[in-house]
Amino acid sequence: MEQKQNDLVVQMKGITKVYPNGIAANQGVDFSVRRGEIHALMGENGAGKSTLMKMLFGLEQPTEGAIFVNGEKVALHSPTAAIAHGIGMVHQHFMLVPSLTVAENIVLGMVPKKSGMFIDFKKATELTKEFAARFNLAVNPDAKVADIPVGMKQKVEILKALIRGAKILILDEPTAVLTTQETAELFRELVHLKEQGYTIIFISHKLNEIKQITDRLTIMRGGKSMGIYETASISEQEISRLMVGRDVILGVQKDTAAPTDVVLKVRNLEYTNEWNKKMLSGVSFDVRKGEILGIAGVEGNGQRELVDMLFDLREPDSGTATVNGKDVIHASQARIRAMGVSLVPEDRMTYGIADSATIEENLISDRFEEKRFNLGPLFNMKAIRAESDRLIQDYTVLCKSRKQKVKMLSGGNIQKVVVAREFSSDPTLIIADQPTRGIDVGATEFIRKKLVDLSRAGTAVLLVSADLNEVMELSDSLIVLYGGKIAAYFEDTSQLDDVMMGEYMLGLKRQSDEEIGRVCHER
Amino acid sequence: MKDKRMFGFELVRGAAAILVALGVGTIFIFLSSDEPFTALRYLLIGPLVSLRGGIASFNTQGLYTILAAMIPTIFTGLAVCVMFSSNQFNLAGEGVALTGGFVAALCGIYLQMNSGLHAVVCILIAAAVGGVIMLIPALLKVKLGASEMVTSLMLNYVCMYVVLHYLNFVFADRSKGSTQTFPFAETARIGALVPGGSKLSWGFIAALAFVVIVAAFMYRTRWGYAIRMIGINQAFSKYSGMKVGGTIVLSQVIGGALSAIGGSVEVLGRYSTFLWKELPGYGWTGITIAILAKNNPLMVPLAAFFIAYLEKGCQLMATYCDVPSEMIDIIQAAIFLFFAAEQFLAGYRQKIVVKNTRADLAKVSASAQGGAE
Repeated sequence: MEQKQNDLVVQMKGITKVYPNGIAANQGVDFSVRRGEIHALMGENGAGKSTLMKMLFGLEQPTEGAIFVNGEKVALHSPTAAIAHGIGMVHQHFMLVPSLTVAENIVLGMVPKKSGMFIDFKKATELTKEFAARFNLAVNPDAKVADIPVGMKQKVEILKALIRGAKILILDEPTAVLTTQETAELFRELVHLKEQGYTIIFISHKLNEIKQITDRLTIMRGGKSMGIYETASISEQEISRLMVGRDVILGVQKDTAAPTDVVLKVRNLEYTNEWNKKMLSGVSFDVRKGEILGIAGVEGNGQRELVDMLFDLREPDSGTATVNGKDVIHASQARIRAMGVSLVPEDRMTYGIADSATIEENLISDRFEEKRFNLGPLFNMKAIRAESDRLIQDYTVLCKSRKQKVKMLSGGNIQKVVVAREFSSDPTLIIADQPTRGIDVGATEFIRKKLVDLSRAGTAVLLVSADLNEVMELSDSLIVLYGGKIAAYFEDTSQLDDVMMGEYMLGLKRQSDEEIGRVCHER
Repeated sequence: MKDKRMFGFELVRGAAAILVALGVGTIFIFLSSDEPFTALRYLLIGPLVSLRGGIASFNTQGLYTILAAMIPTIFTGLAVCVMFSSNQFNLAGEGVALTGGFVAALCGIYLQMNSGLHAVVCILIAAAVGGVIMLIPALLKVKLGASEMVTSLMLNYVCMYVVLHYLNFVFADRSKGSTQTFPFAETARIGALVPGGSKLSWGFIAALAFVVIVAAFMYRTRWGYAIRMIGINQAFSKYSGMKVGGTIVLSQVIGGALSAIGGSVEVLGRYSTFLWKELPGYGWTGITIAILAKNNPLMVPLAAFFIAYLEKGCQLMATYCDVPSEMIDIIQAAIFLFFAAEQFLAGYRQKIVVKNTRADLAKVSASAQGGAE
């Protein structure tokens, strides 16, 4: 037992974190890592894994709980303190100075000096070469960071941490920006580091990668830990069940869909992101009036890019998308909304609301220019008040008054404000992107029921959700996105089981083009 | 209740910032003056209390002087409120106020109209010119992505030198010893509101009227709403289908018009010829006022009064004591620092937030239990 305790290089006990906006991102989380292992931290976006790691790296302070490094209780008030304890972090978005060379970036903040005042560039280059060789991380010390590929930037980040004495490396979704080859290379390097006694915490939600290189894993869901497991003794299915959670079944009553005309028609969308990674290829599908088409898939397989394109937040490389025959790819948001398209955005705090405005102001943002809310130059305050009171009541937004600031509401009620606005504009097409992520059960059930009601009343619904339970239960038919391509189309969701879904979602299986092609109802 | 608590916090924070700033000012007074207590008395109560002959009495003319000083700064303060509300840090109010004053003066000299109408026309033309000038930084921002802060700041000097050029070489009255224009027509002047030499004109009433108008515009019209929403979250506004670029331009054009009105009302109300030879400072003061008022138009008169009072106090101090009049700058800078510093009293704020969150969490768990039963 004593031996075991000493083996734990990091221990976090009973960690609770309440952010200033009142969101409890971690609730009593226990987390521990053994010396010299590669430990995966898994969970959906918003599960609280980044928050947990930020506390370990001193970027955030826990509200409750204690952190132990090498068995000793520590207070990590800043990254400097964390680095002093041998903890290094490689962020998902690189923290490098593009105009400086690799060597200059690596020694930034600990610059070797010549005669006490001049920067010793030669020494910096030598130091970089020495560490690069020792850890088998091939970088070119003299290249400008702006000119090197993403994979090498990541190596620079890792070297930066190692040169500062990190023995424990936190990697935040390191493969998200890498190509397959770069990922394979990174894994070889990580294993090499592990062999030299380094400990690696690997944040990811890609099952195949986790299986490939980690020793143990911790799964988080909804701010809580779902337990620590030996990677070898847990199946991918088990992991996915713990991660997305099939256990909470919310019964939503729904009769068979009677879809009619095609509303949204998407053809051959192609998209390459800013890191030159192909995110979407040959995506074609139709959404018909009166049906809910679900898009299932592990996050990061092109869902976000697809939705962004349908709402003029990104431009595709090629391909078309029309709503009732009208082009949406090149239309502004105002015009897309005028076509009757509503979007429940994935990132509700960025797109869904203006946080320091009132509930009322948030409810009218898409309709404040309509005649019924204006009397000549002035607002018709009475009509606006009536509208917001009606929406607050219809969508059971729990608040003190319509004048309350939206940021003071809970996550579920904030989402209800977004949904109240998006669902009440008499839309012909609703795009619901992760509509119930991170919100309470009551609000979840309410929103799901509303979606079904609207679709049965004749609205076309495109539902994007990483929550397998949600997408299987709500959708009339669904497609699975894997690696930016449609991997499967199921016309009838009632006979689906999650094991089969999992195989398509993780790229183990793929339907024939012919089967997938059936999602295009119109030629 | 939660919102009220935070509102209370903001009041405490504002008062604390002002007190700390006055404290800083006091330190400098003690450092630089041989008679610090007399100086402090002039600074703090001098503007409204006459201290002659050892008897303190309320100084009505002093009050009028302060109110008169508020006229241009209420307008520039409102202008900055509108521009800052859309999250545009446009600093050209200064140059536009100068140009507005100059344009109004020219109209007052060279147009002939009935009294009453004449002043209004002068001011309206100045407002239009002010709005057009502000199109420059606004369009550069929206069309080319040039930082409005930089372009508007530079624009102040462009305005100043253009005005000075025309004043010196085209419109100067050569018969006078100093550089100034010919006098305005009597019809263009804004009449005095009260008797005496206080310069308190009807412009003050106009300024108060504009406070109400701008407040109504910001909180009761679709344009004001769009300006505020864009200021809070531009991504949200775009996603909601608002015309973001046009609204950003609109807010700055309105800001330009209001700044120009401020300059023109001041010129037509206080002087009989145009004689400004440098930037008048009202635009800068407007920024301080808007920050003190937290971009709320209804708070602008209060903030303007506070600044006018301080300025008057500093003037008295400089006149009757040995404290330089630059003290006002030190005190304003200190207020600025503490108001703008997000982290000032942040610990106290955090305590309130934690308290609120704990109360909420308790409520949530209580209601969850209630639901389970």
